Amino acid sequence: MHVGVDPTRCSGCRYCELWCSYRHEGFFSPYFSRIKVVKDEVLKIDFPLTCQQCEDAPCAKVCPTAAIYIDEDAGIVKLNEELCIGCGSCVSACPYGYLSLNPNSLKPLICDLCGGSPECIKRCPTGALFLTSEVMSRDVEIDDPLGRDHAKAVIESKKFRKVWVARNE
Amino acid sequence: MNRLYGYAGKTLRIDLSRKEVKYEELSKELVRGYIGGRGINVRRLYNEVPPGVKPLGPENKLMIATGPVAGTGFPLGTRVNVSAKSPLTGILGDSNAGGHFGSEMKYAGIDQIILEGKSQKPVYIFITNKSVEFRDAEGIWGERISKAYEQILREIRDYRAQIAIVGPASENGVLFGGIFFNMVRPAARTGMGTVMASKNVKAIVVRGEGYVEVAKPREFEALVEEIEREVYAHDQYWPRRIMGTTRILLAGNKIGMLPGFHFTRGEVDFAFEVSGELMALKNNLKTRGCFSCIVPCSRVFAFRRSSGEGRVSEGLEYEALAGMTVRIGNRDLNKGLEAVELLNDLGMDVITTSEVISWAMELYHRGELSDNETGGLKLEWGDMESVMELIEQIAYRRGFGSLLSEGVARAAEKLGRGDEIAFHVKKLEMIQADPRALKGYGLGFAVASRGADHLRSEPFIELSDDPELGRKMFGEPEATMRLGIRGKGKLVAYYENICALVDSLEVCKNLAENMDILDYERTSKLLSSITGMSFTVEEVKDIGERIVNLERAYLVREGIRRKDDVLPKRFLKEPMPNGKSKGHVIELQQMLDEYYEIRGWDVRTGIPKEGILRKLGLEDVAEDLKRRNVELS
Repeated sequence: MHVGVDPTRCSGCRYCELWCSYRHEGFFSPYFSRIKVVKDEVLKIDFPLTCQQCEDAPCAKVCPTAAIYIDEDAGIVKLNEELCIGCGSCVSACPYGYLSLNPNSLKPLICDLCGGSPECIKRCPTGALFLTSEVMSRDVEIDDPLGRDHAKAVIESKKFRKVWVARNE
Repeated sequence: MNRLYGYAGKTLRIDLSRKEVKYEELSKELVRGYIGGRGINVRRLYNEVPPGVKPLGPENKLMIATGPVAGTGFPLGTRVNVSAKSPLTGILGDSNAGGHFGSEMKYAGIDQIILEGKSQKPVYIFITNKSVEFRDAEGIWGERISKAYEQILREIRDYRAQIAIVGPASENGVLFGGIFFNMVRPAARTGMGTVMASKNVKAIVVRGEGYVEVAKPREFEALVEEIEREVYAHDQYWPRRIMGTTRILLAGNKIGMLPGFHFTRGEVDFAFEVSGELMALKNNLKTRGCFSCIVPCSRVFAFRRSSGEGRVSEGLEYEALAGMTVRIGNRDLNKGLEAVELLNDLGMDVITTSEVISWAMELYHRGELSDNETGGLKLEWGDMESVMELIEQIAYRRGFGSLLSEGVARAAEKLGRGDEIAFHVKKLEMIQADPRALKGYGLGFAVASRGADHLRSEPFIELSDDPELGRKMFGEPEATMRLGIRGKGKLVAYYENICALVDSLEVCKNLAENMDILDYERTSKLLSSITGMSFTVEEVKDIGERIVNLERAYLVREGIRRKDDVLPKRFLKEPMPNGKSKGHVIELQQMLDEYYEIRGWDVRTGIPKEGILRKLGLEDVAEDLKRRNVELS
């Protein structure tokens, strides 16, 4: 299971990011959040990227110290902070552009599903977030100057845009 | 422990002439007295921008501030206030915007930005936690908002950077240029964009990586949860989420308060055709919110340009919608949306623009403006081809548009005609509401510290038409009835204090004012839990009143007196011709007397009495006024 997204409902308010950081770090900041809302003012896109809890976990595979591992019991990807050396290999390996590093500790911000009842889902004002086991496809255009995360958000948003356009014609 | 929780604790002062930057500590006294945003801006403006400063000269200062709430998980709390001496009105310039800029400032370690001096060449300023860079903006000078935004983003290569931009209208010296946050969220009133452009600053980019910590997390969290519950259960929650303020158009038509055909009709026969309701059915794709908002009221919508091209755009408040439809006699929603898109892209205030255009249209309609004078533009009601051309002319100060580019008061003066139908107070153009139908709003326009504007008092409650409320709150049943007179002084003073407080917290008025969810008691809890300092209810009440009085003192110092607290004659003399407010004029003088009385201001002159200034801890202001030969009673 992981946090799934309905981008047609997301208003881009980033309330999820704020309360995620609060729950995990005790203070408020999107830069310490384990959910990452990609916004584009030109395309009017709001797309929260979430950890897909990949079964093959590319982030764990590239981790040189095995700090990232799959917890078979919980069925989620976990980080052993003591082993992490902050190299950032996992960030480049994430096929969704989701992962980023904690600006202070330089360790990856990986979703832990808040132990089963994610704060982001609880706080989302528009019901855009929910638990799902349906994993996103890994298609990402890599030549986006705004980054892989942005590229992924654009691709996903284009999919539902088509539906919008059809509805309006 | 000297740390200011909630705040970043810093003012960033940028000297553009010398390209020097300085971080100043935000003092506890300033914060206790004025909180943030509008409050700390006006306090500094009073101290640092005295009479004689030319609004578009290098000695004017542009201040952008946010409040203690921004960047926390408090809902609807991340606005910014922009203040400077206004080039449009010559008095206090002040405008407020939402978006994601305020919180980003906090994450970048600043509560307030002050721009001083003037850069020799066009620049944009790039602010992070570690540095302040002046970047060459010659390449984007002259570009429209959307293009400039994209180009800056291409250089920054970071979608998380928050950008405030001015458009060509501001650069060309149109006196009502705005500063546009997140492309479509302008601080547009009173020409703050024009001031920024006069300093050769095209944009301010902020990218932080810090965080905001509250002093008492548990109390804070409990308060947020209480507020969340009330918000989601509130009557206005769904209408606001679905339509935002555009819902006011149709409702306003029902009570005959619209500015139809330049305030000649309070009710129009095509309101539904240009309503928020119709947009929700036909155009809206999804809602969009400011940072940390749980009542997202902005909408992403699709529309078709006249050329047939389909567009996706965002936002649109009631003010813009009514301005580009009913005020100028336009029945075509698509064309109205197209005009607003153009205005936003050129970077000017839609309210002021709607007044200058509808003013010219009324003159044209009456035969007092000839084709020769308009350069051949046919300014018939609702002629959107002419309107689109005129908007461009205003922005680039060409042809007939050049006359309108300095606002309606100067346009009437230069033309030597139309002064009696130039709808402004203190040179700020009136919003989309007819004061004959909303008398508390009318009083608010007359006394507001930035000119004819509703957001200084927003006595929304008078729309309830519930005498019991008025009796309970103000001891006057008429106070909360829109066509009533008695008690309106109390009503406006009461809500002015609240608005000043809210604008200093930088929380959204939808929450605090319209939904009435953040009262004084909660505000004191909120401030205490965020900052860790204790704020009593009485102290909190005083803060709003202090700010209103300081702003009044700023105006008094610039020469404003009771004689300037006026409304255009039409509203005083000509009865409303149609609709549910038919036959009404606004009885301003009676309401004004009550207002000054309740404020503790001299009823004859409108100057705050020495006693009230001292009571609010504004002794230095009282002394300053006396030194400048202002007689305090």
